[in-house]
Amino acid sequence: MPEAEAIRLAQQGDAAAFERLYQLHNRRVYSLCLRMVGNTAEAEDLTQEAFLQLFRKVATFRGESAFSTWLHRLSVNVVLMKLRKKSGMETSLEQVTEPDEDSGGPRRDFGAPDLRLSGSIDRVNLQRAVDQLPPGYKSVFVLHDVQGYEHNEIAEIMGCSIGNSKSQLHKARMRLRELLQEVMRSKAREERKAAGSGSGVED
Amino acid sequence: MNSSMNCENFHSQLESWLEGERTSAAESHLRSCHSCQAIVQDLDAIHSAAQDWSREEVPAPSTRVWNSLKAQLESEGLIRAHGSAPAEESSSWFDRLLPSFARPAMAGAYLVALMAGGLLLSSPGSQQMADQRWMEGTRNTTSPVRTELDAAETSVASYQPSDPVVMASLHKNLGIVDNYIALCEKSMQEEPGNETVRDYLYTAYQQKADLLAEMTDHGDEGR
Amino acid sequence: MSTDSTVLSYWSWKKLSTLAPGLLLFGTSAVWAHHVEKHLRVDPHPVITIHNPNGTVTVKAWTKSEVLVMADHNSMNIEVAVVQNGNRVDILTQPIANSVAPDEMRADMQVNVPEDAELQIHDDSGAVTVNNVLGDMNVETVGADVGLEDAAGYLSVKTVGGSFQCTRCAGRIEVSSISGNFKLLDVRSYHIVAQTSTGNILFDGQFLPNGTYHLKNYSGTIEVRFSPGDSFDMNATSLKGKVNNEAKLIPANRPQSSSPRFGNTLFGTLNEGRARVDLTSFDGTINILKRSN
Repeated sequence: MPEAEAIRLAQQGDAAAFERLYQLHNRRVYSLCLRMVGNTAEAEDLTQEAFLQLFRKVATFRGESAFSTWLHRLSVNVVLMKLRKKSGMETSLEQVTEPDEDSGGPRRDFGAPDLRLSGSIDRVNLQRAVDQLPPGYKSVFVLHDVQGYEHNEIAEIMGCSIGNSKSQLHKARMRLRELLQEVMRSKAREERKAAGSGSGVED
Repeated sequence: MNSSMNCENFHSQLESWLEGERTSAAESHLRSCHSCQAIVQDLDAIHSAAQDWSREEVPAPSTRVWNSLKAQLESEGLIRAHGSAPAEESSSWFDRLLPSFARPAMAGAYLVALMAGGLLLSSPGSQQMADQRWMEGTRNTTSPVRTELDAAETSVASYQPSDPVVMASLHKNLGIVDNYIALCEKSMQEEPGNETVRDYLYTAYQQKADLLAEMTDHGDEGR
Repeated sequence: MSTDSTVLSYWSWKKLSTLAPGLLLFGTSAVWAHHVEKHLRVDPHPVITIHNPNGTVTVKAWTKSEVLVMADHNSMNIEVAVVQNGNRVDILTQPIANSVAPDEMRADMQVNVPEDAELQIHDDSGAVTVNNVLGDMNVETVGADVGLEDAAGYLSVKTVGGSFQCTRCAGRIEVSSISGNFKLLDVRSYHIVAQTSTGNILFDGQFLPNGTYHLKNYSGTIEVRFSPGDSFDMNATSLKGKVNNEAKLIPANRPQSSSPRFGNTLFGTLNEGRARVDLTSFDGTINILKRSN
């Protein structure tokens, strides 16, 4: 059943049509959720919630945007809501996308010695670092660098401008760099301790 | 040759650089500045790691997701039976509410077939049979709905309402809907083949489900 | 797109009362402790969501490409948060203390929006009024009454007990309630589905060619007004109540007690039968009345 037909039938309540839409999109939605929250149980719950919201609203879909964009916008919103609740406070969307300098915005550290990341980023460390990003940065990074969306698609999904999407992505990458460097420093310290180094010299 | 750009300037252009917009001044600075080279290489490494991550196969979610989703959609009356078309004159409420049980439409089809054969309505016996099938079909399909709604109502009764005034209004309207369910069920007993009454009955069930969902939301907020 | 927001704070009532008496004379009859005002620039077709559990929500269209939010509340334990994310503005009345009494959650607000804005409004108790907005809208309330004037688009309204009045509206109207009354006045809509349980429904609007009009309740009155030049196919059924008709329908209405088997049914065509009108009541009265003009 082609997607357009499935949408039309789903709007009339056809069960097979709902199932078809689920088959067409569940992996991509699940993949997005899994990469955003990092565990399968939560990702499955979010996937279910995203599709539930989609199917509740399918009658109002009027084709102004691609169906998949509409679905992924819902999915991102579902994940962002979850992340906001997890942070234990009602975080405004401004905080979600524009953290202030004190809460981890990109720092400019000119001239400081850098640890090179090339060749030392494994997926686990990258996932952990991504998990520490503010929700808005995390969304844009996962959507662009991991899921492969273009900025114009991200702009539509996130309800922001293309310029905003590019700016958020850059800030996300800079912040990831700091987080991953800190991981490397910790690892180096542990290795020195394990090797019995007594100098205690820190980087 | 000294670069006319310093690190601060390069950083301010870094975002554009990574998007592919490169100026000769930036290129020149990068050639001579190890610190900025490190940043660019690190960002490339992060991008590369992300792409490796994206190439990892993500398994499909477990079947539990679709099963739970389908059950939820059915309970909300959003989907109707797989492969079965609604009866021509009935509203879609019933169809959306109970997709997986025997449907009174089958009794309706039997009724229509008998009418076409000129056998129905000519004797009280035939009408009685049709009505009986209708009632049985309706009872079979509404019974699980009632059970679900009763369970939801019991659950909702234990919630602490976020706003007692709003909750009182919801309870009052729930009473109105319960009253209509009782009236419709009584009418179904009196006029078993009445599709309009059946339609009203299913609409009332749907309204009750919506109300209980609303009460759940308000109860959740109050917890 | 840039965001330009301005937040103004006013003094509390206690401080205000110490000022020169003349200052107390201007302003509205209600004096609020907290006032929020925000201006936000938006692009065409912005989406505005409003979640206000208690209070009045008034939305008006204007010609600017801006959203202006003016909100008032008394409690210091709540805030009206206004957040812009791209071309979407979320307005949310929310608690900022751990424990907030239900009656503290009240805020009254007026929101000015571009006329092509899409609205999503949730207000449990209070009142919702929307004027001159032409974008799609979805309004949900428990007890709050909803009034739309000169609205168009896909208008979806759901209340539990709140009433609904739609004046000079166009587009597509879907409204449902348990005990709310509906009035559809001077509407020019091509598709109306109105369903209430105990409420009354009044339709006094145009029947557009190929339009479909489904009005349904359990009890109460359904009243439809028509002019002799209107053109519709009419099917009116009340299972236990009466159907009163002043329209000269063709074929002529059958005796009310005969088949179909159940209820009192009237059906027929006025003029060419271009629109379709279905009126259904369980035990209420259906009145099809000629306009007196």
